[in-house]
Amino acid sequence: MASRVSSLRRPAAPTSRTQLLVALAILAALAPLPSLGLEIYWQGVVITSLYYALLASNWNLLAGYTGLFSLAPAGFAMLGAYVTALLWTYAGVEPWLGIPAGAIVCAIVGLVIGVLTLRLSGPYLALTTLALAEILRVIVLNSFDITRGEIGLQVPALFAHQSSYYYMFLVAVGGFLIGLHWLLGQPCGLYLRAIRNDETGARARGVRTVFWKVFAFSVSSGLSGLAGALFAHYVIIVSPSIGHLLVTGLVMSMVVLGGMGTLLGPLVGALLVNVSSEYLRAAGDYQHIVFPIVVILFARFCREGLVGRAAMIFNARVGTQARSGAKATEVLASP
Amino acid sequence: MLSSMLVSGLITGTFYALMALGLTMIFGVLRIVNFAHGEFYMIGGFAYVLLYHNLGVPIAVALPAAVLAGGTLGWIVEKLLIRPIYAEFGGRQQGRDEYAIIVTFALSILLIAAMTKIVGPWSLQGPRLIDGPPLLLAGVRVSPHQIAALGIALAFLFGTLYLLNYSLWGRQIRAVAQNRSAAAVMGVDVGKVSTIVFATAGGLAALAGALLSNMISPSPDVGAFPAIKSYVIIVLGGLGSPLGALIGGLLLGVIESLGAIYISFSYRDTYGLALLVLVLLLRPNGLFGETRREV
Repeated sequence: MASRVSSLRRPAAPTSRTQLLVALAILAALAPLPSLGLEIYWQGVVITSLYYALLASNWNLLAGYTGLFSLAPAGFAMLGAYVTALLWTYAGVEPWLGIPAGAIVCAIVGLVIGVLTLRLSGPYLALTTLALAEILRVIVLNSFDITRGEIGLQVPALFAHQSSYYYMFLVAVGGFLIGLHWLLGQPCGLYLRAIRNDETGARARGVRTVFWKVFAFSVSSGLSGLAGALFAHYVIIVSPSIGHLLVTGLVMSMVVLGGMGTLLGPLVGALLVNVSSEYLRAAGDYQHIVFPIVVILFARFCREGLVGRAAMIFNARVGTQARSGAKATEVLASP
Repeated sequence: MLSSMLVSGLITGTFYALMALGLTMIFGVLRIVNFAHGEFYMIGGFAYVLLYHNLGVPIAVALPAAVLAGGTLGWIVEKLLIRPIYAEFGGRQQGRDEYAIIVTFALSILLIAAMTKIVGPWSLQGPRLIDGPPLLLAGVRVSPHQIAALGIALAFLFGTLYLLNYSLWGRQIRAVAQNRSAAAVMGVDVGKVSTIVFATAGGLAALAGALLSNMISPSPDVGAFPAIKSYVIIVLGGLGSPLGALIGGLLLGVIESLGAIYISFSYRDTYGLALLVLVLLLRPNGLFGETRREV
């Protein structure tokens, strides 16, 4: 009886715990590779993939769980990177302060954009973030005296060895996914998903939709800035190319390929897209042709993405057992 | 000084309006934003330049061919990619928005990358429509080419607005924009109207690209800023309002040209964002937007 009451209060965990465990298993499998002799070059590829996984999971929090479409994940990463770079260059602020400062600035910009656009229903967020991303890039390119334009600003490295970055990004992605899993189980995670499924319905049920949309956008912007600032201290040179729209396109293809609204999807998508980009780039820069086509095909014919499709197959297979188990508890719980 | 700035702003604004008009028509009929709009502009510019330079096609043929190229692309895109929106999602706005943003944004990147593969990342300057010594127009030195380009742009702009208001074709478009299902019940072929609107928008954007190819040489990513400006304009004018697109385009042109003089020239592309923020703060529905009620 008690279990029935609690299951009414707290609906079943919204993201399957299995997905989190698979994600952590993938990260754990990646962890020993540097000590097993993974080449420096491929370590770099994995680090970049993990950076993309952070941006993609972040974009998934917006697009996949809340139904908000930002076209500035790369733009916010660039902003975060430039905050720490400018603070270091002009005020000598150390990275351990500059990186959180980058995240905070992005969260504040996200808050302002969110308050402006999310009160309105319509495509205002996508339009404004696209304009913001491109215009930030123009400002950086044109303010040559301050930002040194396309040449970029040099920032100090955090670690002496590349493998240290490797572990840092592994921990960052793992921490983010655990945090996201926890968040989605909280009431606020349910509000976000309710907004995506039916915003009017959610408002009618008393969810403060505007508040939670602004909250999600601001948090996600801040975390994109954090990822960008961390990445800045890995690549050491901060240039406007971090914020290019092509990067946003890659992030979007990772999420759509892996599965929107799945916990595991963005990580799988980031690894698949970024590692295969290496080969496509070697074959003659085909990655920006291949992935948009993949995105269009997935949006058209496989909207749940690879992980979503795999989960459907998995659930169909174990479903029969689970259903008989559920029936048993129902019988027990019913008066 | 002021009047010459106004004139040059109005000239730029006319081309902005040409792009924004198509975008706002698409929004009016389909309730989606076409994030590949800048690439229609780019395709038009390249079609014009490549036909002229590589194939030696005369300007009088290359210009209509560029419009046709943009229109054909719009037609194909609507048939292949946009059609599922109203076939599958029906009234579910959330699913439609998701699909439309993802597909048009991916299309935009695909077209840029494909064009980079085909013609290379360089920019190619387009030929002038007419050669001749510059004239003085309200204190601004304008070349005959600019006057010819402006004339063609104005003709297409007002031609489209006239047809929208007074032809059967335009009445059908406005009917679908007002109420899709009611228009369908009244016998309007909504699918055909949507295709026509997309093709028209593609053609208008391509025309802008071709007319400006002498001043702004087309490169694969040339469409980004014209597109962003037309996004600002349609929000400023009110989403879905053709008149708003016209007035908004002229207004943005004037504001940029005044800002270039009084604030800073190299940041002129950023004034649009400031304007966008102001509009969202003060008048979110835009100058000519309707306040719609939600059901």
